[in-house]
Parts: sequence; structure tokens; C-alpha cells
Amino acid sequence: MVLDSNSLKYMKERIGVYICHCGGNISDYVDVEELGKMFHKEENVIISKDVMFACADSNQKDMVKDIQENNLDAIVVCSCSPKLHLHTFKNVASRAGLNPSNYVQVNIREQCSWPHSDRPREATVKAAGLIRAGINRVSFSESLENIELSVKKTALVVGAGVAGMKAAIELAKSGNEVYLLEKDYFVGGRIAQKDSLFMSGQKGKDIVASLYEEIRKQPNITLFTGATIEKVSGSLGNFHIDIKVKPRFINGKADKQAVKRAMEECPVSVDDAFNMGLTKRKAIYKNYPEALPDVPVVEAGLLKDETDFVAKFASTLNMNEQDETLSFIVGSVLITTGFDNYQPKEGEFGYKTIDNVVTLPELNRLIELCPEKLVYKGKQIKTVAFIYCVGSRQKKGDNKYCSRQCCTSTIHTSLQLKEKYEKIQTYHVYRDIRTYGKQEILYAQSSKQGDLYFKYEDKELPLVELDGKSTILKVKDYLTSKQELEIEADLVVLVTGMVPREDSTHISELFKIPIGRDKFFNEIHPKLKPVETVIKGVYIGGTCQGPKNVSESVQSSLAGASKITALLKSGTVSVDPIIARVNADACTWCGKCAEVCDYTAIKEVEVDGKRIAAVNTAVCTGCGMCAPVCPVNAIEIAQYTDHEIESMIDGFMQEVQIREKEVNPEEVQEEGKVGMKEYPQVWKEILAGMTEEKNTIPQIIANSKIAGELVTFHLMTMNRYGVVVPAGMDAKEEYFYYKKK
Amino acid sequence: MSRVNPEFATELKKYGASDFSACFNCGNCTATCALSTTDSSFPREMIRYSTLGLEDEIKASLKPWQCYYCGECSSECPRQAEPGELMMSLRRWLTAKYDWTGLSGLMYKSLPASITAFVLTFIGVLAFAFQSDFDLEHMMHVGHLFESIAIASIMVVIFVPNIIRMWYFTILEPKTKVSFKNYVSSIGEFFVTMFVQKRSLDCEDNRFRWFEHFILVLGYLSLLFTTVFMDWFSSQYTFVIVFGYVVSAIVFVVTIDFVNSRMKKKKVMNQHSQPSDWFFVIWLFLMGLTAFMTRLFIDLDILEMNKWLYILHFTILVQWALIIVPFGKWTHFLYRSFAMYFAKLKEVSK
Repeated sequence: MVLDSNSLKYMKERIGVYICHCGGNISDYVDVEELGKMFHKEENVIISKDVMFACADSNQKDMVKDIQENNLDAIVVCSCSPKLHLHTFKNVASRAGLNPSNYVQVNIREQCSWPHSDRPREATVKAAGLIRAGINRVSFSESLENIELSVKKTALVVGAGVAGMKAAIELAKSGNEVYLLEKDYFVGGRIAQKDSLFMSGQKGKDIVASLYEEIRKQPNITLFTGATIEKVSGSLGNFHIDIKVKPRFINGKADKQAVKRAMEECPVSVDDAFNMGLTKRKAIYKNYPEALPDVPVVEAGLLKDETDFVAKFASTLNMNEQDETLSFIVGSVLITTGFDNYQPKEGEFGYKTIDNVVTLPELNRLIELCPEKLVYKGKQIKTVAFIYCVGSRQKKGDNKYCSRQCCTSTIHTSLQLKEKYEKIQTYHVYRDIRTYGKQEILYAQSSKQGDLYFKYEDKELPLVELDGKSTILKVKDYLTSKQELEIEADLVVLVTGMVPREDSTHISELFKIPIGRDKFFNEIHPKLKPVETVIKGVYIGGTCQGPKNVSESVQSSLAGASKITALLKSGTVSVDPIIARVNADACTWCGKCAEVCDYTAIKEVEVDGKRIAAVNTAVCTGCGMCAPVCPVNAIEIAQYTDHEIESMIDGFMQEVQIREKEVNPEEVQEEGKVGMKEYPQVWKEILAGMTEEKNTIPQIIANSKIAGELVTFHLMTMNRYGVVVPAGMDAKEEYFYYKKK
Repeated sequence: MSRVNPEFATELKKYGASDFSACFNCGNCTATCALSTTDSSFPREMIRYSTLGLEDEIKASLKPWQCYYCGECSSECPRQAEPGELMMSLRRWLTAKYDWTGLSGLMYKSLPASITAFVLTFIGVLAFAFQSDFDLEHMMHVGHLFESIAIASIMVVIFVPNIIRMWYFTILEPKTKVSFKNYVSSIGEFFVTMFVQKRSLDCEDNRFRWFEHFILVLGYLSLLFTTVFMDWFSSQYTFVIVFGYVVSAIVFVVTIDFVNSRMKKKKVMNQHSQPSDWFFVIWLFLMGLTAFMTRLFIDLDILEMNKWLYILHFTILVQWALIIVPFGKWTHFLYRSFAMYFAKLKEVSK
């Protein structure tokens, strides 16, 4: 072993090494017994043994006993991938009173026995190298403790749509102070634009109103509308947020009637973006009459030349109001910025080139605006054709994903059309109908009411054409042997999917949260960390993460809210100690480490008159980008120090001498006697499920209540080790009998 | 290219089709059908055409006639869209399309129209009876004459043009080129279908029903032959008399079972009886029964005292010959036989 004289103080002197057979998974190819004997002679190794199943309860107990009796100061387990059992053995170390950082896992199954099953000798040599590297690494391991950080019990929720509002309320109820930020002047986001939401048929506006009412009742929530985030700094527990709040230009003390009059008399009109250009609105406006907060907004730019009007309402309008900048500190952030509707390109299925082609969100606005008859551009609509998957599941475009809610939303709209206006025939030109879960009921209703469904494939897109005065949709229908059919429709509706908010890259840059391939914000793990981002303390909820329906949005934002509550509850958080650290003596502050740090975890500080780099322990993820760029080797990652890595390389390079052994399967059976004590738990359970007579696999499964495939797998291994023996076939010749030996 | 017409579904429902819009095109019906083949697959395709209202495709298709309504598709349908009943309704609709007079369609769609026709014919027979002063011999003579004249004229005026129309819709318009040789060589299919219905044997669990149907067809055709050509009611030959008794008895006994199963609704095919179905079985039953009774009364020499019986029999006969045969369900017997013939033509001319 080559050692750096400086590092001798780190050396471990009483190491335990455990080499696992994995019931034959490893020992069939890697000569674990020989390895066990070999490392027994290794310097500083006190215990080295091969075990049938390292993860078995009995072995874990033996390890604890070994550590305590022999006063071991480090352990190495050579078995499977650390993904499977790293924490199992870290816990063993903890139980024995050993710091878990003094444990190293070596993977000799996925990296040796499985990939090199055709060359057992080489597999054994490679395993020996890896084990030696592990021993070397563990001998330099330091005892590390988790880092404790103090946090502020305040949360920031970005976006006051349904997901954000609901999360803010829950956060406040759990005792957190909440800042709720909305970019628009009115709360509610996208659901305010929906007259009827599936499955309940509730009005989006009603939900917005009730949530707003609750928010007002919560003294812990501060709502900012017309607000944008300017700057974010700090980290988990102490994020510094700078926001800008735009003014409404309405005099706060003005009489409500006067404000109403000003709205009515306002001389300037523009396209109403809330109604997607279907109507006009005044320069003094609310998104919709009941929009909340109940104060209109003046679009100041539009009234520049209307001096007379402004003068007339001088006491009502306050045109001199300025942007306001505010700063506050929050412990954690929940991002619920939502989605944008996919905007079809000009000419995509006739959009903008043919008069009566609209998108589903536009139709939804239209339905709300037409109480009696459905009229578009002066023409009464009697037939509506929907084209599904516009801007979703694109083969050529960027949006490969399915937008999840549009199928159900369309079918719900179709039901709504028939209910609200009589005698409307709808045609659904779809790729696949995905009305999952309870939403399937809506599909059944729709087909019952006589809606017609046509299936197209991505390679043969439907065409929208003008035929004289009527609009014709041509579709190659896969349900009619790909026959080309013509559908005459008064209105063609493009069922557009969800895309990320236009300004989501800005949010991503502010908070340093990653964006996925679909351009939505990325969670760490879709199943196990579904609302967490790689930035500690920043969570995502709702559709900013990917397409979701309203229920799913609220579910995920509430999950985020719960995570935040749990995180802030104690006032402190404990984070993993595997992070970067700076050697203050060596560092000369060149700034290179700060440049490469993706998380802005490194800052320049002055210590005793010397300028050096300092790592923000709360922000650092231990990614390791900084260590290799340091010209003076003054920065390193805990558990991945140069000593550890170099010693591993040295260990792996060392020559291995292994006594060659003939592998004879019959011999294995004879030699492979294991004592009851060493049996893994699952063997014991299988044996307990077997009667003294012979049993078939289904009988054993029924008795032992272990999953069938596990029983089959383990019986084979148990047979090899002479724990059970086959005893012929059953009467139907379907299964082998097994008998205890 | 075909234009989608959702109105067609409403039209077809008047012919008895139930809720076929519930179909979501899973294809279970086609998979379960014992008669559907890769080359000629149904009923899913016909359901699809019906939902979309592709009338031209349906009119050119012979598939509705290839189905014998075992009901398997309807029991297997996960959406209760009743594909079997749809095929039945399509047969009615096709019959109406083939019929140049348009009366078939009128009677299928409107029960009042059918009842009016039955009442009018009854009044006609009564008027005739009054006019002939209830002279039994005269009435029976005219009755016998009526049978031959009715058969001949309905054949010429209704059936021949209708079959030509059917041939035009299914062979000529879809541009199927059939050589004269094929027309001759395939004719066997027509007779096999008409008399034996061999194809329906492939349906599941259908042997008894097939046998009943076979016996009924033989009985019906023999009764027709005995009354028209052997002049059963006036015959002196013991063989003819006894034969007449046997075949008329077969007709009404077998139809009792048919009426019975329609009332019990145990089998899928009996669950959706339309007026046209009831008229067909009931009138067939009445025909066999009244014919049997009439001859019995002749042999007992009591018909002179019971003239009403013959008037009843004559009424049934007239209604059968003028309503049910040309415009009612009887036509299925004819069109199905031709459909199999035409299908064979299409197959050999590929």
C-alpha cells in the first residue's frame, strides 16, 4: 500500500471485510471463499469472511457482534449494487456504534459475477481488485456527521392558480407564513377561463372565488398580484427574494361607483386576451366581472393620449403610481407557475387560414360567452369537429408527451355542448382516447349521445379544407378500414395540449431548477421524489412540472406543501455531509470553482485578512464540479478526497494472485453445505411453508405467502445447496415436488 | 370518398335497430361470429358504416344477408350495442331499398300503415263475399284462381324488378365483372340457400333451429304446391288429401314453437321482435291452421254451415299474398337466397 505521509493520521487499522455468495449469484462465478482467505492476510484487516447472504438478518447480527467484539473501526461489504443495500449496511454500522461514513460497499455482483459469468477466473481477479480498492478507500474514510441548518418558517408560493392557492392555504393552516405571488392582476390562473370543469361540471370561477375567500381569512398569507420575481439568492432555510409589484393605477380611496363609471366610459378598447381575442375589452378592465381581487386595472400605456378622460377621472385614477420593489426572506419555495396552451402555427390544420378553425380553449371561452345559441363569427354552429393531439405526441415537433387532460376535457366539452345547446352533432377525430380512471364514464356518455369517433394515425394527419362555403375535414379513418371520409363541420376545434409557460426559463434561471427534455420543470425522481427539485428547499407543484388535470395539479401542489411543512416544522434541517470543503491554507481565491458551480454555492470570503473560497453548506449538492478545476488543489469533496480516490486506483492496480480451482458442479453440491443459522430469512420462511411430505411450488407459495417468483428462484438455489430436493412430478405432470432434505 | 351522415342512425332506428351508437369498435362481435371470415368480415364493419351513415357502402353490401342472427355477437358485446339486431335492421332497410314501390319501407317504419293495409284487405274480402252472395263454391273457385294470379303477378310486378335492383346495387354499381359462365355455374348456391340454408348450420348450437326451419320451408312450399297445383280443397285423391293435412299441420305446429320463443325471449334473436316479425309468424300459423280446418270441415261436410271459416282463411291468404309476401318479412327468404348467389358471383369473379 502506497501512502502519503500526510494522510497517515486517517488510517484505519481494524477493518472488517464481508464477501457475499448471494446464494450462488456471486459464488457460482467468483471464488468468494478464496477471496475471503486472501484478504485475511491483508494489512489492517482484522476480519475477512465469506457469507451466504450478507443481507440476511443473522449475518447483520453477526456483523454488529464482530464490530463490537473486535472493536472494528471500518467495514467493507462486497455484495451487490449500493443502490440495493448501501443503507442496509450503513444502518448495521450505526447499530454497532460505528460512524456510517466508515462503511464502503463494493459491488461484485453487477460488476463481476453477472457480466463476466463466461470467465469466472477473470471475474474473481476483478473482484479482488475492487475489494482491495474498497479496503483502501475505507482506510482513509473520515467520520462525518450530518449538517444541521436553521430555517425560517416562511414559504413562498409562486403562482396563484388553483394549485398555488390551495397549497398556500394548507401551508398557512400548518402554521407557516406564506407569500403568494401572482404575475397577473387577478388570481385563478387557467381554471378561471373554464366555464365547466370535468368531472363535476363546477365553474372554474366559483372555485377561484371560494379559494380567494379562504385566502382572505388566513392572516398568514400575503398575496401579491401583478408581481414578478426579480432576484433570488440564499439557500434552503434562508432564500432572499426580491419582487417587483406593478401598480393598478387606481386610487385606493376612490369611490367604487366612480371606478365603475371610469371603466364604462373608457374610450380605448383592445382585444381581450382573457377571452382569447373573441371579444374586446377596455383599457380599464377586469378579466371577468367577478374577477378577484375586486379592483380593476388600468393599462396605463393605452391611456397615454387620452388626457381628457384621465383628467375627468383624476380622483379615481392615479396615473403617477410607480412599480414597487419588495424583499423578504423565506425558508422554502413552492413553484406553481402552471402552463401555457399550445398555440398552433398558422396553417396547422387550417388555424388562422380557415375562418372557422379554433382551439379548444377558445371554444371553451366561446361557450361561456354564448348563453342561448352557439354562434361564431355571426354563424350558428350545429356541427363541431374536434381534432385531438394538436401540439401533443408530436413525431416531428418537440412535444413528445401526451397532455393527459385534453381527451377528457374535449369529451366533457362535447357533453356540455349537447346539454347547453340542442341538436349539436360532434365529431371526434382522435389518435387514442385516454379518458383514464373515472373519466371513462364521460366517454361512455358521449358515445351514447351519438358523438362520432374517428381514429387517425400520426403518419396520415387529417386535412381541413374549404369546399365552397363549407369546411370539410378529410380523415383516413382507421376504424373504417382506413377509408378516407369527409366530415362537414361548422366549427373545427383543435384540441391543443399543454406547453410550459413562456417565462419558465426565467423562473428556472432564478431558482436554478433544472428543465427536463419536455421543457417543463424536472423533479428528482418521478416516483420517489415527485415534487422535489435538485435545489434543496425548492419544490414544484401543478402543471409547471408537466401536463396534469386540476385534481392532479392540486394533489402535487399539496404534496409540495406537506414537504415544506415537514421541512420547516422543527426550525432546523439535517443535510447529507457529502459536500465540497475548502482548505483555507491552500486556497488563493482565483474564483474558478465559483465559475463552474451550477448552484452558486461558492462565494468569496475574507478570513483573517485572506481572500478565500467558502462553500455554502446548505446549497452545495456535492456534485464535484469544483474539485478538478482548482489549480492549487484546495477544494475537495468529502468521502471523495484525493487520498481516497488515489488509494482506490492503487489498490485496483495491485497484482492479484489467485489459486486456480476446477469448477465442478457436482462438487459444488457436495461442498455447498450451509448451516441453518446462515440461511437467509426467505429460506426459513419457505421451509416453514413446507410440510414434512413432498410439496409442489403452488402449495409452498400458498403456505408461505411469499411471491411465487421468489419461491421458484430460491428453491433452485436451495436445491443446489442441498436444503431441499426434487421428488418427482405431480399427478398432472405440471409441477415438481420438493422435499426438505 | 364518402361523406359522413349522422342522420342515418336515426333513420335506421325506425327499422328496429337499438343503441348501436354505443359501439366503440372493439371488434368482439366479429371475432365471436361463426360465419365471419377474413375475406368477408362482419358485423363490426356494418356497425361502423351504420354509425357513420355510409349508405352507399351498405347498399352495395351483401353482408347483412350473410348473417343468420344466432345472437352470439349481441351477447358478447361489451357495450350492449346489439350488433345482431343491427344486422336484422339492415336487412329490413335493404329490403326497403330494393323495393321500387316504397311500400316495404312504409310498412316497416309505420305500424298504423301496416294495420291499415290489413284492415283494407279484410274489407275487400268481405265486399267480395257479399258480392258473391256468400256462395261458397264461387268463393272457393275465385280463391283458388286468386292464388295463381297473385303469385304470378307479384313475381312479375314486384319481385323481378326488385331482384334486378338488388343486382344493380350489389353487382353492377360496384363494377363487379361477372362472366356468363359464372352466372350459370354459381346458381347452385341460390337453391341450396333457398331450400336448405346450409350456411346457418355453421352458427353455434343451431342444429334444432335449422331443422325446424328446414321442415317449415318444406312444409310451406309443399302446402303452396298442394293448394295451388293439386287444388287440395277440391281434390278427390286420398294421397293429396292426406298430404295436405300433413303439410298444413307442419306449418302451424312448427310456427307455434316460433311464436312461443318470440314470446319467451330466451334467445337473443327473439328479444327484439318487430311488428313485421310478429305478422310473419302469426299469419303463417293462421294460414296453416285455417287451411287445415277448412279441409277438415269439407271432409266432415260442415263447411256449408260454417262459411265464416273459409272467409277467414281467404282473408288470411289475401293478406299473406298481398302484404307479407311482397312487402314483409317473407322477402328475406328470396333476397337472402339471391344474396348468397351474388356473394358467390363476387367471390368467383375476383
